[in-house]
Amino acid sequence: MRGHAYLVGAFCPGRSAVHRAPLWLKGLLLLAVAAASFAFPNAYLASAVLAAVVIVHFAARLPAARLWHPVRMMLIFLVLIAGFQYWQSGPATAWQVVAGIMATVLASNILTATTPVSTLLDSLEWAVEPLRRFGADPERFSLTVSLMLRSIPYVIGAFDDVRDAARARGLERNVRARTLPVLIGTVAYARATGEALAARGLGDPQD
Amino acid sequence: MSRVLLQDASFSAETSDGSVRTILHPTTLDLSEQRIAVIGANGSGKSTLLRMLNGLLLPTTGSVSVDGLDTRADGSAVRRQVGFVFTDPLSQLVMPTPLEDLELSLRRRIKSATARRQEALRILQEYGLEPLNDSSIYELSGGERQLVALATVLAVEPKLLVLDEPSTLLDLRNTRLLRSRLAGLSQQLILSTHDLELAVDCSRALVIEAGHVVFDGPAADAVAYYRRMYS
Repeated sequence: MRGHAYLVGAFCPGRSAVHRAPLWLKGLLLLAVAAASFAFPNAYLASAVLAAVVIVHFAARLPAARLWHPVRMMLIFLVLIAGFQYWQSGPATAWQVVAGIMATVLASNILTATTPVSTLLDSLEWAVEPLRRFGADPERFSLTVSLMLRSIPYVIGAFDDVRDAARARGLERNVRARTLPVLIGTVAYARATGEALAARGLGDPQD
Repeated sequence: MSRVLLQDASFSAETSDGSVRTILHPTTLDLSEQRIAVIGANGSGKSTLLRMLNGLLLPTTGSVSVDGLDTRADGSAVRRQVGFVFTDPLSQLVMPTPLEDLELSLRRRIKSATARRQEALRILQEYGLEPLNDSSIYELSGGERQLVALATVLAVEPKLLVLDEPSTLLDLRNTRLLRSRLAGLSQQLILSTHDLELAVDCSRALVIEAGHVVFDGPAADAVAYYRRMYS
């Protein structure tokens, strides 16, 4: 897998105020960013929120590359949405929607970059704990969510690798050559992750 | 010391043309020595045998048990007792950094987040990996990755450690480093290897050829037998 895709979703150690902020506060701010971006449709507000998120990103001393990668991954998606919104409602709405999506994704990226996985796991376990009486296993739930987050960069990296391999053989327009290896690779990755957990006796139901 | 019993255990798999291929023929073994090596050519069935010991693979026929726990019926209990180290450490590591991966291993044993972090840091320091605590697992060398993989498996405190060709991807320096680490472990070890120097250090060795155990005895004799097979 490519190293660049790995940057997304991974924790970047640091001692900034953002790193030291409690997870509940970061979660609350993430919700506020999403709410401000979508509950109050206004291009100026969306721009201000996006700018604020970018400032927080650099205040957390996160690398600039980490700001660009999530946007690059969504680029086609963003262009399509912007085009549709421009056609339906004009440039202000198109920008408001695109800026809102970028602000929310970048804010969630800041949260995962400044919070160790173990803290996320502990918080998820704590949040799911009340459901234990209904048969839920908080440890398995938090582990599943963290592995899901962990697998996103893998799948993105696999798409990039397969695209380059297809291009090297002149098959860049062949949809089968560009998707089938990703599917096979992703299933193999899921299997390998399951085996890696089983190798340490993790992920089984608690006795 | 754990006692691993294979009773007529075999493993077969369906091939792409629909036929069934037997990878390990019915095998009966009683494994209780402190250090056991499994040697044999590529594709001989070593990894299949090892994977059956902690239930990563279930026998097609027969049974495998560890201290009386059947890998089919008591899979999770067996897995907590038997740690497995893969040939490729990247297959072993599921978290982005060594520190986080170790903390994952310690979750079941240590509930306090602060105590868990301290223990993870202590283990990394013990392995001389402290400077790499927060490095991406993709930035580590092969040897560093293999040591991290070993540390993450040992952190769950298994009674028995199974290692599938742990030195295959390592250079000479890292092979020696790994070997000294393994020599210092109190756990019972069962490992497959192409490194005959590593195999000869064990108290017992099995030679596997085409899915059959063709020799079972003292490691020095097994290595000599294996050398004769290909001389």
